[in-house]
Amino acid sequence: MRLASLLLFSALCAHAATYYVIISGLGGEPDYEQRFKGWANDIDSSLKKAGESNVITMIAPTRDQIRARFETLARDAKPNDALVVMLIGHGTYDGVDYKFNIPGPDITGAELASLLDRVPASRQLIVNATSSSGASIEFLRKPNRVVIAATRSGTEKNATIFARFWAEALREPAADVDKNDAVSALEAFHYAQRKTKEFFDTEKRLATEHAVIEDTGKGSGVATTGNGPDPDTGEGKLASTFTVVRLGANAAMAKDPAKKALLDQKERIENAIDELKYQKAAMAADDYKKQLTRLLLELSRLQAEIDK
Amino acid sequence: MTLPRLGTVLFLAALAIPAQTLQQAEAYRKARNFGEANNTFRDLVAQNPKNPDYRVRWGRMFLDHGAEDSTHHDIQNASDLFHEALAIKKDDADAEVGLALIAADEFTGDAEKLAHQALDWNPKLIEAQELLARIALEDNNNEKAAAEAKKALAIDASSPVAKGILAAVDYLSGKKESSWEPHDARGYETIAHFFVMNRRYEEGIEYFYKAIALDPTLYTAHAELGLNLMRLSQNDEAYKELSLAFTNGRQDSTTTNTLRLIDSYKKFVTSKTPQYGAELKLGKKEADLLRPYFEAEIDKCIATYEKKYKIKLTQPVTVEVYPDHEDFAVRALGMPGMGALGVTFTAKSFGGAIAMDSPSGRRPGDFHWAETLWHEMSHVFTLTMTDSHVPRWFTEGIAVHEESGPSPEWGDRITPDILMAIKNKQLLPISELDRGFIHPRSPMQVIVSYYQAGKICDFITDKWGWDTILAMLKDYANDVDTPTVIRKELKLEPEEFDKQFFALVEAQNNKSIDNFPVWTDDVKTIAAASQAKDYDTVIKLGLQARDLYPDYVETGSVYEFLAKAYAAKNDKAGAVDELQRYVKNGGRDPSTMKTLADDLTADGKKKEAAAVLERVNYIYPMDREQHQQLGLLLLDLNENAGAIREFRAVLARDPIDLAQAHFNLARAYNQNHQPEQAKDELIASLEAAPGFRPAQKLLLELSSPEK
Repeated sequence: MRLASLLLFSALCAHAATYYVIISGLGGEPDYEQRFKGWANDIDSSLKKAGESNVITMIAPTRDQIRARFETLARDAKPNDALVVMLIGHGTYDGVDYKFNIPGPDITGAELASLLDRVPASRQLIVNATSSSGASIEFLRKPNRVVIAATRSGTEKNATIFARFWAEALREPAADVDKNDAVSALEAFHYAQRKTKEFFDTEKRLATEHAVIEDTGKGSGVATTGNGPDPDTGEGKLASTFTVVRLGANAAMAKDPAKKALLDQKERIENAIDELKYQKAAMAADDYKKQLTRLLLELSRLQAEIDK
Repeated sequence: MTLPRLGTVLFLAALAIPAQTLQQAEAYRKARNFGEANNTFRDLVAQNPKNPDYRVRWGRMFLDHGAEDSTHHDIQNASDLFHEALAIKKDDADAEVGLALIAADEFTGDAEKLAHQALDWNPKLIEAQELLARIALEDNNNEKAAAEAKKALAIDASSPVAKGILAAVDYLSGKKESSWEPHDARGYETIAHFFVMNRRYEEGIEYFYKAIALDPTLYTAHAELGLNLMRLSQNDEAYKELSLAFTNGRQDSTTTNTLRLIDSYKKFVTSKTPQYGAELKLGKKEADLLRPYFEAEIDKCIATYEKKYKIKLTQPVTVEVYPDHEDFAVRALGMPGMGALGVTFTAKSFGGAIAMDSPSGRRPGDFHWAETLWHEMSHVFTLTMTDSHVPRWFTEGIAVHEESGPSPEWGDRITPDILMAIKNKQLLPISELDRGFIHPRSPMQVIVSYYQAGKICDFITDKWGWDTILAMLKDYANDVDTPTVIRKELKLEPEEFDKQFFALVEAQNNKSIDNFPVWTDDVKTIAAASQAKDYDTVIKLGLQARDLYPDYVETGSVYEFLAKAYAAKNDKAGAVDELQRYVKNGGRDPSTMKTLADDLTADGKKKEAAAVLERVNYIYPMDREQHQQLGLLLLDLNENAGAIREFRAVLARDPIDLAQAHFNLARAYNQNHQPEQAKDELIASLEAAPGFRPAQKLLLELSSPEK
């Protein structure tokens, strides 16, 4: 979805809320406890700094506490709201069940899915950054729900690092690759995925986790590469329109009806740029550059007008 | 390299075993049918479990095949069989010499001892005697080598190996002819081996060809010929020879891995440096990133050395940079005492080839690539000046001395192991220092020998001047031996030189050596206190420990503990001081250096911060964020060319934020008065993110009619 469309969508849903739940699980040893808690607090801080008010962070909660939190959410959230759940910690997979490790009885993938299903927010994002999280996809996937897992399967059992870079994505302007002052779920996923890979490369360690994304409601998760959705499966398309955190003031601007005509015009130019980019391979380089420059200058002038 | 072994006929005569069966096994082996040979030997051993000789012969077959990979462990099998034979017969000289040969091929220090033991058990065992001569010559002890070879000839007057060693002694002493020319394939192979050991690859290659001409089935010579042709970048011919050896059963790790390495060359791209036209081979994936840094450093290095060594290189220099350490390791195969980070090969007709690890092939901080480049490039000069007649210790010593030439912060620091070697008086006399490289008694002795050789060159430079080093190189070019060179140029007996040198090294390190136990205890306490956040203790003990052993800048250095403690106590200036001290003393952990750069930047000291990050570029230039940070600092400092280089490096590292990377480069071009390049970068930025406002604004600005 182009920026203008996204902004319009945001305008239509101006009163819609996004609920964030960050759960840091059981570390098992002080180093992991500290690490998981640190990443959870990092996310919490980024979201609150971005002006989000519905942010709940739970450090090593019990199953009952998690259930209670989701009951509240099920009561408070509306269909046009969005829900973002982020799980950080250790997970296990015994070949049948995925379990998120928390104090007391663990919580299974099936139960997590059931809790999420009861929240009426129609747009949902669950980021399962635990070990073995790939095994949770089959339980969690659903139309209109983006599922991101730190591992591609339940057999990747080592403690993961993905959450560290996911947290970084929510505060780093570099994650906002399309520069629309908002980090989408797909942008954050790609950022964290790339950084995780680079971490293992730099440390000369065998990569023990491979993050995947599933947002068609029927896949098992793919590691999309590049910046866009996976062209073959369409995985990532929903995630590309799911804003996780806003870094700038585009929401306020989108609420101004006086700008609508300009925004419409802007969308037309952006679509023309997209169209041109698709034709790039078939065009002479000079011609492509000339046309692209013209469109970009046009867009820049229009943006200057909008920003006045 | 495997040297010739006792002939089959002699062996069969010596062993009272069912000849036909053993003959079958040996016939298979000779026909390079290792599968059948292996089966036959296995049957023999199964039928005669108490016969040590079958195990020895079987072990020798494994040595001949030599394969070492996931499915073959021939050298280990051979070693096991020799040990089994010794368990059956505790004074089995043939088994013992088998173990000696393995040790010799691996250049471990045990070979000589094992060979002596074998000779004690069987004084007529010519192979053991030949091996002693070989080991002596590998240590550049020509006199001893000749004496041992003559003992071998006393056992067997026709020994081609002994003759080859005596001929090699003549040639390595500068003689053009030798009365010991063996006129035998194995003898020529022996001569070739010693030319190669002395880095005289062209002459080595010539003798391998001679060996093959006399015996085309001598596949060890084919394999070694291929390896040495590859060293001189004659890859097509090298591949042919190696393939021939491989298909005829010579499947040792050197042959196999060298073939693989040549195959991998398609993953490299080549460029030439702007000033000297040196050829630079980089891995395709990192070439765009590394090229500017390597090209600039290669040219700077050659320019410095041409002045310093007073020669102009007339042949090209090639620098190969391996992203995969395993590929680099193949380049260094079979050369004892060669650096773990870089190797250099030179030849008159060819020039010089440096092979080294890429910074991407190592963990950040493990490797200072520029230091390695300067080290290896000095070999190109010293080997060229002496036509490779310089002994190992001296060329390595000069190379280590040169490491800190560009900056006192470069160069390896003294490690605890070296301190202990000094304390325990384990440094070698200068006349025997080559032994520390070729036949070290332990892996640590190689490291200690590098240190010692470097310090000797520091000492000579300080006391006698750099021109004395050049004079010594000239002497070595004329095949003068080390004791004579020392007497001639330093006017000292070698023993007196050693005395002065050892006294100097001890004096320089006495404080660290004497206080080493205290320092060790302090560091343990500091680490525990730091963990417990007892920063007062860290600071109190840290200040003491730091100055007891200031050269210790490895992981867990006192500087880092102190900086952390100061930072925790909100003493930012104290933390910065410690980290600056760390860097000045040779600390090279990129993340610690980046912390220092961040602190300096926060303190408004952008120039100092940029200087720290420039240093990181010489250690680990793979980090995208570090290039971006340095680029922004240089942009602020109006050092636009540097900023352009850094932002181009960001782009070469496939940035996540492509729009920002192009935009930063556009700003640098704009600031450098290159508006057209700036506009191109802005278009690229906006192509990635059309709504990127800062890029839009700059594009409008640069496209306005006033511009």
